[in-house]
Amino acid sequence: MLRHASAALLAVALVGACGSGEVPSSGPIIDDAGRAVRLDAPARRIVSLSPSTTELLFAIGAGDRVVGRTRWCADPPDALEVESVGDGLDPNVELIVARRPDLVVFYQSGMNDAAIAQLERLGIPTVSVQLDGLADLARAALLLGQLTGDSARAGTLVRAFEQELAAVSMPPADDAATVLMLAWDNPPIVIGSASFLSEIVSRAGARNVFADLGQPSGSVSLEAIAARAPDVVLLTEGDSEPAFAGRPEWQVVKAVKEGRFVAVRGSHFSHPSFRAAQAIAELRAALGGWPR
Amino acid sequence: MKRWLALGAAATVVVMVALAVGPADLAVPEVWAALTGRADAATQAIVRELRLPRVLLAFVIGGSLAVTGATLQALVRNPLADPYLLGLSGGAGLGAVSAIALGVGGAWAVPFAALLGALGAVVLVYRIALVGGSMLDTRVLLLAGVVVGAFAASIMGAIMALSPAPEVRNALLWLLGSLDGASWRSLGVFAAYALLPLMVLYALARPIDLLALGEEPARFLGADVERTKRALYVSASLLTAAAVSVSGIIGFVGLVVPHAMRILWGHSHRTLLPGAFLLGGTLLVVADAVARTAFAPLELPVGVVTALIGVPVFVWLVRRWAS
Amino acid sequence: MGELIFETREASYRYPAAHDDAVRAVTLAVPRGELVAIVGPNGSGKTTLLRLLLGVLRPSDGAVLAGGRAAHGWRRRELARLVGVVAQREEPVFPLRVHQAVLLGRYAHLGPFRAARGADLEAVERALERCDVLHLRDRWVATLSGGEWQRVRIARALAQDPQALVLDEATANLDLRHEMEVFELTAELVRREGLAAVLVTHHVNLAARFGDRVIVLEEGGIAAQGTPPEVLRREILERVFAWPVEVEQWRGVPQFVPLKREEREE
Repeated sequence: MLRHASAALLAVALVGACGSGEVPSSGPIIDDAGRAVRLDAPARRIVSLSPSTTELLFAIGAGDRVVGRTRWCADPPDALEVESVGDGLDPNVELIVARRPDLVVFYQSGMNDAAIAQLERLGIPTVSVQLDGLADLARAALLLGQLTGDSARAGTLVRAFEQELAAVSMPPADDAATVLMLAWDNPPIVIGSASFLSEIVSRAGARNVFADLGQPSGSVSLEAIAARAPDVVLLTEGDSEPAFAGRPEWQVVKAVKEGRFVAVRGSHFSHPSFRAAQAIAELRAALGGWPR
Repeated sequence: MKRWLALGAAATVVVMVALAVGPADLAVPEVWAALTGRADAATQAIVRELRLPRVLLAFVIGGSLAVTGATLQALVRNPLADPYLLGLSGGAGLGAVSAIALGVGGAWAVPFAALLGALGAVVLVYRIALVGGSMLDTRVLLLAGVVVGAFAASIMGAIMALSPAPEVRNALLWLLGSLDGASWRSLGVFAAYALLPLMVLYALARPIDLLALGEEPARFLGADVERTKRALYVSASLLTAAAVSVSGIIGFVGLVVPHAMRILWGHSHRTLLPGAFLLGGTLLVVADAVARTAFAPLELPVGVVTALIGVPVFVWLVRRWAS
Repeated sequence: MGELIFETREASYRYPAAHDDAVRAVTLAVPRGELVAIVGPNGSGKTTLLRLLLGVLRPSDGAVLAGGRAAHGWRRRELARLVGVVAQREEPVFPLRVHQAVLLGRYAHLGPFRAARGADLEAVERALERCDVLHLRDRWVATLSGGEWQRVRIARALAQDPQALVLDEATANLDLRHEMEVFELTAELVRREGLAAVLVTHHVNLAARFGDRVIVLEEGGIAAQGTPPEVLRREILERVFAWPVEVEQWRGVPQFVPLKREEREE
């Protein structure tokens, strides 16, 4: 258990270290793939290819410049007015080009290399943004601020967010509730410490029972779950009493047998955004019923 | 007799070892205490409610897959045949993905949908392969199995590409094979169900020997070829469909084990089938134990492990046999 | 004439969707202790006639009897105790040893669960001995020569303890020596043990020398049947095989020689 606690604390410390919001003065803008992004003027027509960057663009006041989004982008509600270009990973280049963008914002992934190369041949600038956790949020906001020509506004928002975050975060105590987060039940896929949800859980003062899993998620044995005996099972979608709770083999996990499920809802639990502080507060309230 | 004792002893030892290992760090005396009812509640639950039914389920599934594989190899007269050859995997996958995409609820929705999908594929393949009303053409059967499986897999691909539910992809993980759904109930249901097809296949062991010679020679040696083929196909398919719905698609057991038994014990199906059951069960128990423990708490798909263990052993056997 | 094993009366068969009968009004009888050779050109209905005799096809007209009962009405298991069959080709998909292959001939005498008993193993050894292949008993079937494999399959048919043997072009792929060995073995089993034998072959001369009776098929019907001297006649053979021939006597048995073009004018 000590191992898990130190891993969680380390994660919190890292977030704090990276969270300062200095606006780079001049020179080429370098994206999260290490590539220089050259724009002649602030971007006016942006296609955003991940839900978190779309939400962030709207948050920094550039929502009216977003002319394309993925089918998964639903935040803020205004984003639904924007035309969808389909999937965000390995996207449809033709649909993107048809939106006549002057900047395409990608989620940083090798799956997008082919699309990026094609767009560059067509002379359309692209930027790759790695936005997996709260540690990435400030950097991403400032990068997008620079590209849209409003770094100052992005910087102000980042500073306000960091204060809010610091106020609401609470590192887990030794007797913190242990939480199981499931991405799937058969075979069981659990959320590891590299996921955003796990970060929310540890900032809310609880502990991911699979925090030692240094990846976003992983397939584990039911026996491993039973042996770690989580206090509660956190549900972010579906019914408040999940279907697998009716299966005999899951009765070995005490929290499932005793029906200790905590349900939270909303996209602020699924990807990093300025609404993260709200997510932490909601989760802490929901977990309030399960103190150790 | 000696070889039966050896195989039985190997199976017993493997089952004991598999019970003793797992991601929960339990010492052998603790496992023993749990089995005899003298451990604390949590340990007892892990050993008696998770490990024991899982090990036993792995054994009967592995055994069933090996028996089906051996049968189908003789039925279609093709040594490359395996239990999923006849479109079952595509059908089961389509069933599972459809249930998840449509948001069908309930604790047993996915396995049940997979069973329905597999049975649907079985019926379709059987209908296509029946020529002239009652003759089962095994060449058409083979082709029908491949195309029905491919067709179902394509529809499954389309659903996964179009579905707004990202969980649909997780159905694929389940299809890769996992024994995480093991409980006394699933073990009991599967074992009760598997008994009849296993008995039928064993009772047909002699006609299977004849079918391996070809249909005409089998007929003239006294086998009722049409009835035998139908009984073999239906029993093998029903058995595999049930196995898929309980544990997903676990490859290589049904291909490698029958051949290993053929090399070790020869081709008389009266000894081959029970031998394959024991060896298949043993192999899957070993593979599942490795899957659970090698990278604990992470778990490997058990089908990956069966291939990693089965293929080198098989290559070694084939080389030894060829020389 | 001994007890009849096969008998047909005006038997005809037409394949579904075909315009003509493949077998037309065939009447024949095969008693025990007799070797009957069936010859005829390609497409004359030899295979269809055999499939009728073996109960695989049901006659569209007339009657086909095996052991006194309708041939298609037999349970395969029971018919296998009456008739052993050796077809032209057979390729086992899994490797077998000779004695295992011959033991498969005991299927019709074994139940689904009973292990092979001493009597079954004795029948296998005896069959191997009768076909002079006892020395091959532990060889892999795949390592046998064509003639050895054919003799092993005759041994397998004998292990069925049948009253009749049916050989369908069983020597088609064999060289001279192996072909003669198969014919001699069959004739000897008929003479010594009183089996009935039906031998379908392309070799009219061998049919005449080994057959007690010869049946010549032509377009599904019987062109001639009887003893070799009755059947191997120039006008019959020339018509059936559509080629000029000369028939000569060799030690009292008629033998035919197909003529070359320049020999016809002589």
